[in-house]
Amino acid sequence: MVKFLKPNKAVIILQGRYAGRKAVIVKSFDDGTRDRAYGHCLVAGIKKYPSKVIKKDSAKKTAKKSRVKCFIKLVNYQHLMPTRYTLDVDLKDVVTVDALQSKEKKVGAAKETKARFEERFKTGKNRWFFTKLRF
Amino acid sequence: MVAAKKTKKTHESINNRLALVMKSGRYTLGYKTVLKSLRNSKGKLVIIANNCPPLRKSEIEYYAMLAKVGVHHYNGNNVDLGTACGKYFRVCCLSIIDPGDSDIIKSMPSDH
Repeated sequence: MVKFLKPNKAVIILQGRYAGRKAVIVKSFDDGTRDRAYGHCLVAGIKKYPSKVIKKDSAKKTAKKSRVKCFIKLVNYQHLMPTRYTLDVDLKDVVTVDALQSKEKKVGAAKETKARFEERFKTGKNRWFFTKLRF
Repeated sequence: MVAAKKTKKTHESINNRLALVMKSGRYTLGYKTVLKSLRNSKGKLVIIANNCPPLRKSEIEYYAMLAKVGVHHYNGNNVDLGTACGKYFRVCCLSIIDPGDSDIIKSMPSDH
């Protein structure tokens, strides 16, 4: 009886091009909108996970391996698997429905979330979120 | 075995309570609507038949854990659960949204 599809919840995308990828809910639309008459949410997810970094790597190599590629998408609740994990990265100002309207805005928003995700990855927190789901 | 063998009396009482819910309360039958009811936090109790596929059972239990909703594993298969609901089809899982006059929600989670 507790609502769990809330912002900052980590979810796994189940369908579409990004199936199997982890994402975080930025904004949820429980009752839908005029265009999408079903419960859906705006998620920011990882398109390409950062590679494994070993101690032997030089600084340049670590920087290259720690890169994260992101995507922003509106996803139906039915196509998500919620998890018990959360990721509190502040993306509300960057990731908006408005950002999905045009290509440049989308790319700009993705770049900004990439920066924030990479920053979070480098601190070593939320390790589950940045590891690839094996299936 | 972890759970003790369910006695006939408790099994009948679950059936009685379920019948009362069917008559006076609101419920949904079926996997898709059970997940929907858990997502929009309308579901109050989920009942799963014993021959539910294990992956589906785990998935429903995980959703219920996130939503803090009780899950009852019905002592019978989907045919029996359908009969208990008074339906002529099989029911693998159901979600009770409003128990009506029944006390199934108050008594079941402690029973399990």
